[in-house]
Amino acid sequence: MAEGLLVYLRLAAAAVRANARRPVFLAARTLASGTIVAAEVAGMVLLLDRFGTVGGWRAAEVVLLAGLAFASQGLALTLGTRLEADDLSLLVRKGTFDQVLTRPVSPLGWIVASYVDTRYLGRLLAGVGAVVWAGARAGVEWTPGRVGLAALAVTCAAAIVFGVLLLSAAFTFLTVQGSEATNVLVYGGTYLTSYPMQIYGSALRLLFLWVVPLGLAIYVPALGVLGRQGPPGVPASLAWLTAPAAAAFLAAGGLAWRGGVRRYVGAGS
Amino acid sequence: MRAYWAMLLAGFRRQATYRLAAVSGLATNAFFGVVRTAIFLALYREQALVGGLDVRDALTYVWVLEALFGVIFVTWIWETAESVRSGDFVVELLRPGDPYLRLLVFDLGRTLNLLAVRAVPALWLASLLLPLRLPASAGGLALLAASGVLAAVVGFQLRFLYCAAAFWTPDYRAVWMLALPLIWLASGFMIPVEYFPAPLRLLAEAGPLSALLTAPVRVATGRAAGAALLVQLTWVALLGAVGRLVLTVASRRLVVHGG
Repeated sequence: MAEGLLVYLRLAAAAVRANARRPVFLAARTLASGTIVAAEVAGMVLLLDRFGTVGGWRAAEVVLLAGLAFASQGLALTLGTRLEADDLSLLVRKGTFDQVLTRPVSPLGWIVASYVDTRYLGRLLAGVGAVVWAGARAGVEWTPGRVGLAALAVTCAAAIVFGVLLLSAAFTFLTVQGSEATNVLVYGGTYLTSYPMQIYGSALRLLFLWVVPLGLAIYVPALGVLGRQGPPGVPASLAWLTAPAAAAFLAAGGLAWRGGVRRYVGAGS
Repeated sequence: MRAYWAMLLAGFRRQATYRLAAVSGLATNAFFGVVRTAIFLALYREQALVGGLDVRDALTYVWVLEALFGVIFVTWIWETAESVRSGDFVVELLRPGDPYLRLLVFDLGRTLNLLAVRAVPALWLASLLLPLRLPASAGGLALLAASGVLAAVVGFQLRFLYCAAAFWTPDYRAVWMLALPLIWLASGFMIPVEYFPAPLRLLAEAGPLSALLTAPVRVATGRAAGAALLVQLTWVALLGAVGRLVLTVASRRLVVHGG
């Protein structure tokens, strides 16, 4: 097991070294993946500066949500950006994935490790930065429990986004071309969870709390961090469900991936 | 003239082949549109008029944004830059006629297809379900259509200038990625520029990015529609002149590797 892990670490180290061959480019891309967060946060602050509150939440509290959402997206994309429809479709069409299947490694482990994309760490860091900034503005006292809740939110939401990427990958295996529509859940999900859940209608709330549990992973722990109670049916005390729900969603993604690989027939390349 | 017309039709037909992409694009627009609608409805529960916009203006902004998003942030954004990098661009310079105009009409053909299959259905469906503020007369709708086409033209002209970076550096994408967040915000694709603080708003309205979304939204809501169209026409003329100038200078720099 330990030896097996070493293989993936070496693959990942090689990917990082390859990226670092063009340091200026890597720096620019890392910076860019973080500045998009800064721009989104700036837009939010400008918006709420004019309106005061949204769903009863002030700018700093909403930015905290957005920071958690972007940090988790950055973490998930660092590991899984190659699973997106465009990239995976290319691996399938070029026949690269055929070769992966002949190797004595797990195909998923190989794809994740070989294409680790450190530039998304810029988004993770920018998201964490937004959380820290928003916490200070909202008067959050960072007790160990609250730091733990924030960390829980980022890791669980990242697991869910990764699960979405796995589902999207399974779809790409079946259709070869894949569909950009699966990106809606990755980028649209982050956008949606950047605002408090009580502003959405019951259908969106149901979908993002209990089917793709991004709301459960971001909004509910954020309630605890901010010392808020949450609307009826979604109390802050639901945070105990965050980790099991994320694990269940990730497992569903894993099953879909395995099903996709089993049905994979290549693209005739 | 006939050659350019043929290029326009070719562009339209080429884009028409991507049916699955059109459907998934519409699904993406619908999702973001629904989420943005919920956000603005929640925001306007506390205020009636902000930055001169009421809730109907804001919803119109949301759906004009969703309608035009794919037309402005097109999927083939790097095509010109990649052809510069690979050297294929030299073929464009060898062809008879005006290369800038040819690229423009081909691109316009593709964006006209997107306007027809993505922008019109998105805006029409939204107008059935939500109290948008759209022109009621045929003349007003024609002006809105013209404004959408002008936005697509400015979109091409700005893309062309960005792609021109490929003449100078192979890392043209880095330039774009660093500029993108600022463009996103300043062009009003995150929030309407009307909500910006006064100095920022003036800056955003004065720049060419205002021709992409801010102007079509104003034509749609009928607030300063004439001025908005005039701004778009001015930018089409200015950016066209700059684009041609850059192309002339850049053509002398084009290096074709091997072959």
